[in-house]
Parts: sequence; C-alpha cells; structure tokens
Amino acid sequence: MSLDIDSHIRHSTRHIGRSVPRREDRGPLTGRGRYVADIKIAGMLEVVFVRSVEAHARIVSIDTSEALAVEGVRAVFTAADLADVKTFPDYIPYIGPVRQRPLGTGTVRYVGTPYAAVVADDRYIAEDAAALVAAGTTYEPLPTVADLDQALAPGAPKLHDHWENNCSFDVAPHKPEVDRAFEQADHTFTETYVSQRQTGLPMETRGVVADITDGTLTVWSSTQSPHMVRSTVALMLGMPEPQVRVVHPTIGGGFGTKTHIYPEDIVVPWIARRLDRPARWIEDRMENLVASVHAREQRHEVEVAYDDDGTIRGVRCASMLDMGSGEIFMPGTAPVFVTNACITGGYDFPNMQARTIGVVTNKTPSGAYRGFGIPEGAFVMERIIDRVARLTGTDRVELRRRMLVRPGQTPYVMHGGGRLDSGSHTESFERGVEMAQPALERARARYAGDPDVRVGVGYSNYVEPTSPSYHLTTGHWGGGDAATVRVDPDGSVRVAAGLSAFGQGAETTAAQLAADALGVSPEEVTVVLGDTERAPYGLGSWGSRGAMMLTGSVLLASERLMDKARAIAAHMLEAAEADIVLTDGAFHVAGSDQPSVSWAEVGTAAWIRYVDLPDGMEPGLETSGYFHPENLQHQLDDTGKINAAASWSNGTHIGVVSVRVSTGEVRIEDYVVVHDCGTVINPALVEGQVHGGVAQGIAGAMYEHFQYDPDTANPRFASFMDYLVPTCAEVPHMEVDHFESPAPEQPLGVKGCGEGGTVGPPAVVAGAVSDALSEWGVDLTECPVTPVAVRAAIRSAEAAGTGADS
Amino acid sequence: MKPAPFDYCRPSTVTEALEALSSAESSRVLAGGQSLVPAMNFRLTDVSLLVDINRIEGLASVDCDPGGVTVGAAATQTQVLDHDGAASVVSGLRAALRHVGHLQIRNRGTVCGSLAHADPAAELPALAVASDAVIAVSGPDGERRIDAADFFIGAFWTALDDGELITEVRFPAEPPGSMTIVDEISRRAGDFAVAGLVATVEAEGGAVRGARLVGFGLGGVPTRLEAAEAAIRDWAPDHPADTLAEAVMADTADAFDDIHATSWYRREAVAALTVRAARRALAAEEAA
Amino acid sequence: MTISEPISEVDIEVSINGRTRRHRVPARLLLSDYIRDTVGLTGTHLGCEHGYCGACTVIVDGDAVRSCLMLAVQADGAEVRTVEDLAPAGSDCLSPMQQAFHDNHALQCGFCTAGFLMTLDSVDPAEWSEPERVVELLSGNLCRCTGYQNIVTAVTEAWSAYDGSGGSNDG
Repeated sequence: MSLDIDSHIRHSTRHIGRSVPRREDRGPLTGRGRYVADIKIAGMLEVVFVRSVEAHARIVSIDTSEALAVEGVRAVFTAADLADVKTFPDYIPYIGPVRQRPLGTGTVRYVGTPYAAVVADDRYIAEDAAALVAAGTTYEPLPTVADLDQALAPGAPKLHDHWENNCSFDVAPHKPEVDRAFEQADHTFTETYVSQRQTGLPMETRGVVADITDGTLTVWSSTQSPHMVRSTVALMLGMPEPQVRVVHPTIGGGFGTKTHIYPEDIVVPWIARRLDRPARWIEDRMENLVASVHAREQRHEVEVAYDDDGTIRGVRCASMLDMGSGEIFMPGTAPVFVTNACITGGYDFPNMQARTIGVVTNKTPSGAYRGFGIPEGAFVMERIIDRVARLTGTDRVELRRRMLVRPGQTPYVMHGGGRLDSGSHTESFERGVEMAQPALERARARYAGDPDVRVGVGYSNYVEPTSPSYHLTTGHWGGGDAATVRVDPDGSVRVAAGLSAFGQGAETTAAQLAADALGVSPEEVTVVLGDTERAPYGLGSWGSRGAMMLTGSVLLASERLMDKARAIAAHMLEAAEADIVLTDGAFHVAGSDQPSVSWAEVGTAAWIRYVDLPDGMEPGLETSGYFHPENLQHQLDDTGKINAAASWSNGTHIGVVSVRVSTGEVRIEDYVVVHDCGTVINPALVEGQVHGGVAQGIAGAMYEHFQYDPDTANPRFASFMDYLVPTCAEVPHMEVDHFESPAPEQPLGVKGCGEGGTVGPPAVVAGAVSDALSEWGVDLTECPVTPVAVRAAIRSAEAAGTGADS
Repeated sequence: MKPAPFDYCRPSTVTEALEALSSAESSRVLAGGQSLVPAMNFRLTDVSLLVDINRIEGLASVDCDPGGVTVGAAATQTQVLDHDGAASVVSGLRAALRHVGHLQIRNRGTVCGSLAHADPAAELPALAVASDAVIAVSGPDGERRIDAADFFIGAFWTALDDGELITEVRFPAEPPGSMTIVDEISRRAGDFAVAGLVATVEAEGGAVRGARLVGFGLGGVPTRLEAAEAAIRDWAPDHPADTLAEAVMADTADAFDDIHATSWYRREAVAALTVRAARRALAAEEAA
Repeated sequence: MTISEPISEVDIEVSINGRTRRHRVPARLLLSDYIRDTVGLTGTHLGCEHGYCGACTVIVDGDAVRSCLMLAVQADGAEVRTVEDLAPAGSDCLSPMQQAFHDNHALQCGFCTAGFLMTLDSVDPAEWSEPERVVELLSGNLCRCTGYQNIVTAVTEAWSAYDGSGGSNDG
C-alpha cells in the first residue's frame, strides 16, 4: 500500500517517531478518569450474579423466594427467564460446539458459572440477596475432571453430553520430512513441558452498564471490542444493530481478557430492557478470578532428533490446551494454534511437526491473554535448545547463532506458513548478548563470596505475529479496521476509529498520525475511539494490532481527505492542484508562500461557503478508510499452512539470575530486551508496552498460577494472597534497546508491539535458573519457577546422584 | 465483595466494650481491621456486632522502659515500627514489623490485632513466643495475663474466650548481648511468610552461646525449635551446618502443605534460615 | 464521639479534601464506597476490595490507608484526602508528582494511578527517597501495565531534591 504522508506536505515538525506526551493521562492523574464503575444514571439498579460453587453439577432447583423478600430487591432472574435470548453462536466448524447459554441452565461445568442474576437498589443489598439465592440452590453433584489426564482418561465424565468425549479438537499434520529427520539423526530424546494456568488480570475488573432510551439500548462495557459486543448483543437479544450502541469508557486494562463477550454483556442489557431501568454490574475481584477467562495452561509432549554437533534435525510436538469448560465466546481455542505456529521463534527451523489438541475440563474457560499462546511455544523451543546444547556440549549462544534467521533471509516462511516479512533476528540476539555480558559479570562479582549463590543466564529469541486474522479465533470476523477523518469548518480535525484503547495510548498515536498526514499539530486533532455510534466498525484492540490498524486506516482516510482539500485549496488559490503544497497547516502554491489558505478556510468552504468550492464538487470534508493489511490470510491454503498475521515483530530477551541454593530463591539481577517492531510511532509508548509485557511475562515465569483441587476441580485460590501478581519489588530493572526493521508491505513500515514483552520471560527464567544450577544438571521443564520447584529440582538431582556435592 | 449487615458501637471505656461484646452472639472487636474487614468483605466471617475500640482512651499507647515494651490494643504497627525507644529495648519488634504487610496496612493494623488474629504465617505471634511476651486480656470475668506460649492454640485460634479483649501486650527486653533476627521466605514483598524464623541469638567470642528459635508458617502456631536451640549452642561458622539443619528438620516434622509450598520445603527453608541467622548474628558480633 | 448502643446506621462527619461532609451511613458501608458513591469522588478506584492492590489508597489523618479495609464510620471526625485534591485547585497545573508521572509515561490504563499518588503523597520524601526505600514503598500498590519501571523513574525524578539525609517537604 502506497501511503505516503510526505508527498504533498512539508513539516517543520514531524510527530511520528517522537515521544509525544499522552493525552490520556490527565483524567486518571487527577481522579477525573471515567471508568465503567464511575457511571451513574438516575434510577440505576445494581446487578449481582450468583455463581456455581460446584465444579460439575446439575442444578436441581433454585429457590429465589427468600431473596425476593429482601427489602430493596427488584428481581431475581434465572436461565428460565432468558428463554427468549439466543444461544451464543458456535461459529468455528472444527471445534466441539458448546451451545453456551447466557445463564447456566441444567448443568454447570465450572466453579463461577453464573446461573442467576439478582437486581437490587444497591450492591450491598444485591449481595445479601445473592447469598440467599446461593443458599436456596440445590445441586446434584457430578463427577469432575480437573486436568488433561482426567479429562482424556477412558470413561472420563463428559462435560458436554452431545460430544463423544472431552476432546474439542485434534489437528494432527504429518510431515514425512520430519520422519526422515528422526531416521537420520544421531540421537533423540522425549520430554514434557508445561505452562501453567494464569490470567491477564487487569487492575480494573469487567463491568457493564446498560440503559434503554427511546428504543435505543446503550451499553457501556469495559470491553476491548465494542463493535463485536454490539453485533453479538443485537444478535442474541434480537435487536437491529443500529438500535444498540456500545461504548467503552476509560478502560483499566484488558490484556486479552476483555476481548471475549461474556454472559454479563448479554444479561445486563437484557435486564435493562426487561425492567426498563438502567442496570449496572461491576465484577468484583472474587468473581474476576473465576469468571474472567484464564489462559496459558498447556502441556507439550515433545520428541527431539539431534546430532552430535548440536544440530537439531527435527521436532515432533503435541501441544495440548486445557480449555476449562470451553463455555466462552469467542472460544479460547486459538492460542494453542498460535503456540504451534510460533513455536520455532526467530529460528530457521522448518522440521517441526506440531499437533494441536484442545480438551475441556471443569475449570474456568480459558481464552485470551496477552501473548496469546506465543510464550508457551517459546518456552518449549528454548528449553529444547538448551537441552541439546547441554547434551552435546555445544555453547548455548553459539547454537542459537547457528539456528537464527539470518539477515537477508526474510521474507522467511516458518514451518506453519507464518511469513516473517522482515526482522532483526540475528542482530537483536547479538546486541542482546553484548548488553547482557556486563550484567552477567556484575552478578558474578556480586556473589563471588557467597557459597550459597549461583548465577545463570537465559535466552529467548521470539517472533510476535501482529495484526492477525480474527477468523481463526472467532470463525466469523476478519482482520481489518476503519477510520473516519473529518475537518470541521474551523479547521480542527476529528479522527474516529473502530479501534479501542485501554492504556496503550492509541488516542495519542492516532493524533500523531493524523497530525502528520494533514500537516497540523496533534493538539488540533480530536480522537474518538470505542463508541459504535460515533466511530466506524472495527474489531477493537487485541493481537498487537492497534498501531498498524490506526496507521493504515487513518492514513488512508487522511489521504482521501487531502485529495479533496487540495482540490478546494487549488480552486481558492486559482492554481493547478499539482502545484499545491501544505506547509505547517496552510495550503499554498509551491515555490511561493503567498497567498495561502488555511485548513479553516478549506473546511469552511467544504461545509458552509459552497461558493468557494470548485464547480460541481460535492460539499463536505469527511472521508473514511477501511484498512485491510496486505498478505494477511484468513484461511489455510492447500498445504494446510497460513500466514495469519500481517507482519511479524521480533525480539531477544536475556536475563541474569541469582539462585540461592539452600532456599531455592531466585532473583532476576538484570533483564535485557532488544526489541524490533518496525517503524516506531511513539518510542515512549513502545517502551511502556515492553516494560509491562515483560513484567507480566515474569509473573508467569515465577509467580502466578491458578491451582485446582485434583479431586473436586475446586479452585485453590480466592484472592490476591493466592494469585501472586508481582509488585514493584519482584520486577527487575529492564534495559531496552531497539531495532527498526520496517514492515515492507505495511503503511509506514509499522508493526505491532503489544504482546512481545510477555513472550521471553518464562524461557529466560527457566533457562537462567537451569544454567545457574548446571552443576546439578538441573533442566527445568515447567513454569512457574518457584522456590519449591527449584529446591525440588536440586533434591531430585541429588537423589539421582547426578549432581555435584554441595 | 461487601460486608453483610451488622451493628456497630464505639465505646469509650474497656468496661463498655466488654459489655457490648457480651451483648451479642457474634460480636467482634474492631481494632485495625486489616484482617477482619477483608474477611467480612468476602463474607467469610459472621459478625452481628462490631465493637470499635479505637476511641477508648489510652488504648493506643506504646510505652517502653528498660524492662520491656508495652503495646496497647489500638496501637498501630506503624506506631511501633517508628518508635525508636521500643526498637532499642526489643529489637525484634522493628525486625518483625518490617516484614508485616505494606505501609498502608501497617498504618491501620495493630500489633495486638495481629496476635488475636493468630495467622500461622504471621511474624508477630512468633516474635511474641520467642520473646516470652505476655498478653493482657480483659473479659466478663475480669483480667488475666496469658503467656504467649499458651496463647496460640491453632491456626486463627487463641486462648481468648468469648467476650474477651486483648488490652495490651508486654514484650520483655531482650537479654543483654543478644540480637533478634526475623527472617523469612515470602513469595512477594509484604506477603505472609511461606516459612519464617524469629531467632534471638546470643553470640560471644565467635560462637553462638544460646538462642531462642521460633519458626512460623510451619504449623497452626508458632513453632519453638527446641532441638535446634540445643544444637545451636556453641555453634561457630566452621561447624558443619548439617547438624543444625537436621535439628530443625526434627523440630518441624509437622509442617503443612499448601499451594505456596510443600511441607518438606518449609522445613528445609527454616533450616536454611536458622543457619543464616546464626551466621548473621556471629557476623554482627564480630563487627561490633 | 462515643456510640454506646449498637446501631446499624451512623451519622458521620468527615472532612474530605478540606470540605466537611455529613451523612447518615449504614455501619457496614466501606470508606471506599462512601467516597465513591455517597460523596461522588470516583477517582479512588476499587481493584480488589481485600486490601491487596492499593488502588483505593487514600490519606486519612495523614496516613495512607486502604479505603476498602476501613468502614466509613471509622472515618467519623477524620480528615480524608483523595486524588482529586492533589492538583493545585483552580488551575490546569498538576502537582510535581503528577507531572513526573506524565513526563515519564508512568501510567498506562491509569486505574492504579490514584493509589500510587496517594501513597507517595502521604510520606516524607526525605525518609523514602533512597532507591530501595522507593521500591519498598511502591510495593504496596499493584500496577499491571507499566512494569513499574517508569513509576520508579517518575518518583526518583520528583524526589531528586531529596538525598535521604533530611530536608524539607515543602517542594
């Protein structure tokens, strides 16, 4: 796509590429942000959901009479009341259909399933009544399955009666070349790698406010995808889409969890319609831990064929996703496909045969979390490389060097069809190694006198698919986005985009883009996001797509607008269109600064003073652009491969850790990131994305873990005392450097950057701790790397006699 | 996550507070509320009457003399942490409180409330046991003083009877020539300990002469490490750590499992903390 | 003031950001809900309601506290300050710490920000400006977006005048 913002514009100041300060800051800094829980509408009722305390049970009866008798309670609804609401669509043909109802009916399949909704005058009263509904519920418990093995065991209790078993899908490609690699290789080994159950955990929980006025239903939702919520609410409630407006107010983080459309997104609007009163539900943290999607619980059964010189000849990997109950829209199936697509990371490694399996269990449905399957695969690959290095006595850095995609090798097509359009795979690693060296030396010096401490280093070279297709994830939506640009009579610019924003700085980014595309300053640009009534259809923010989607759509719309504006200016200046240039916000004839016309004059002509328009020109100065990235595929090709992302970012993470042998305590001493997301629009925002992503990656590497009782499938967590979100004291200082390998086929060369930070840490931490404990031969295969896990590894090495004396 | 309904009163004397406590079935004392209120928000605790003792005259005092430190029932952890006099008489107070929660919690949380709450992973109950603290209690039948060693009965379970109220706790001064080390393994800054140790160590001439060792996060109550106390006597850095560690293992056979750690891990960790404490005390002695 | 007899609703008088408010509140009303819903100051956020995340941190009589772990009735007679009180009144200016957060990209979604700012505002920088102390102080507030690094940078910048050896809190 040939979007060229420089062809007709001369800027004394360019804004793209600068850390333009965020326009989003002022509200939250001064307490004037407006999050969904801050919305108050006269007469608004409060909704509380009653949730299953059984992991698998038939609901025999629900007695709501005591709850209804509580003063201030307006209604209690159960599944039977919502018979007129359609079932969540099952759009993906190759997975087991779950036929999810908005409220649990008949069978509940995980602790946290909403099965009744209490409506009351305030939240306190609603909770009083909800407790009475809970006490009035009779269950008939059913046998549970708490993990993959239980779910797949012969004769295991089935979650979904209409399925053959608990397997939702099993996609097993066969590659003869991988068979040959195994036949020819010097050695093989098998291993099982495990990533644990986590969640995105935004600091703001979810929330929905719904109100119906003059037949229009307005839904304020803390969602990442307002247009998709609108389509789904309209579909399920049987309303025309124009009568449903979905707005996201300020959002307190999402990290993927808010891409899904949840029962509450449907039930709260339904209640507002039914009672003809505004209704509000704000998820509390206790609910959030069981009712917002989990993620990342995968097991990888791996066979590796390698040679004496460290060459890895082939890998077979069966990647198994624990989907929880599967009752979530859109389904949580896609991450494990992404795991397999990205598993080879930045390495030139075609001989990967990856099978993809999804299994349901009696746990919270799993779904999206920043990284979306990439960290799990990166963990497997880096652990394999470290293992082969150790088994063959090859240097770990050297082995990676041999394997990385080299300069000039792009576009490089990965084993599953992913097309690395450009990148700095080798350069980033070399730079990272160089940056990490002093850190490693510092750590060794720091602990030289402490016989209880070992120091190690770990590596990860990953790729990050950005601006992906949503078709594989949803079975329905595609992967483009729209923007509308308007210049008003006073010359001010308004940009409206279907994208949403929840902390990334998308408004600031959009303003930078429009400013440079229209030759104005960002302050003159008003940005509207996340409102289906005011912005064109878009899929929202997820999949590291914001920057690229905004760039494509805003520039496309701006270019169209510029064409018209130049025609108007040329007419007003009585000059040829081709001679018109725009310098610092004013149009003039090239080569002469006088006379000129301003954006205000052009805008006034377009909207008001038609006498200034060229003959026959249609009035108005508003244009739209629908951007669909080149090379983005939505369906598998004949060979079963797909490039499901518009462009691929890459990065290297290297961490230096110290490990206290006696207690297993791990400290990350230094963390180095080399990051490449193509052309950078706002360096501060990109760096912020990296920092936050790495912190979440470290959370997964060392801290956060949803554990369930194997006998009852009951959660063994209830609070932040059990789900260990890292504090400032756990997140190390990060040193970040950048390469900019522009995306050759995308506008301005922009790639996405939202998720990469999360990818490296599990592999880095496990690699570094294993390195630190190499004298015991420790080779960690699971996350999180906790003190107990470290001690267990040392103990088992000592018991097996493989370790050194300590 | 909102508390269920309850009644509230705010007495001005201990006598009034005791009357109120006896007047309702599920009455609870509200001091700092930093453990009680979350439990109420989760609706895990049944409370019909909350008796707020924060406005009772004199209850928020921290008094110290050469013989020890007395902390009133409404005195906050921050008050004690910031009290230089208290730290000089009972160094373990500051050492323990540094590990307790975060600033915002310590600003409201009370020392006596932490004892009454009796979280098995908390630092202050272990310090109370290690330092032979005495807990003063008032109740319908009058006042009594309970030795810390007898006060903790099980997890979240103390010798307090219905209607009783802690009025203050007295921490005796540390023995001369000793120092108190509070060390723990916790998953994150400010978390309750996975396993922890309060060690009051007397060191002289490069060896440990004696020590009081109390582990926490191991069982329902603070765990006095008696075998280790015997093994640590006359221990010096050139002695093998194994015997000391083995003694700790013997003392902690009942350590429990939970999602944060296994029993064997807790035992190993406290063993490592014990060796670490001995080394640290000896290093401090050498430096002094 | 003493309340001798058990009651379920209490008349309270609280100074919030310098303005005295009088309300009759249920005994069980949390201070956080009182500030947000009764008084209408929604800059204080609820992130966990069990005293861990710090988003609801406000200042009560000079001390940073978790407002979700206090009852409104406990603030009777107290002076409460919230994030709405930090920027100089009647101007577009930000406080030095707010400005440092803005300048250093120390907030993304902004949901946790008020809690951090109130914690920071409650302490004497002279006692807390050492790097390890800054980390210790900030560890009572969770942030999910920034990875904390830019928050630490912002605090360090705002407190650069304090070297930890004393000094005034007038800046």
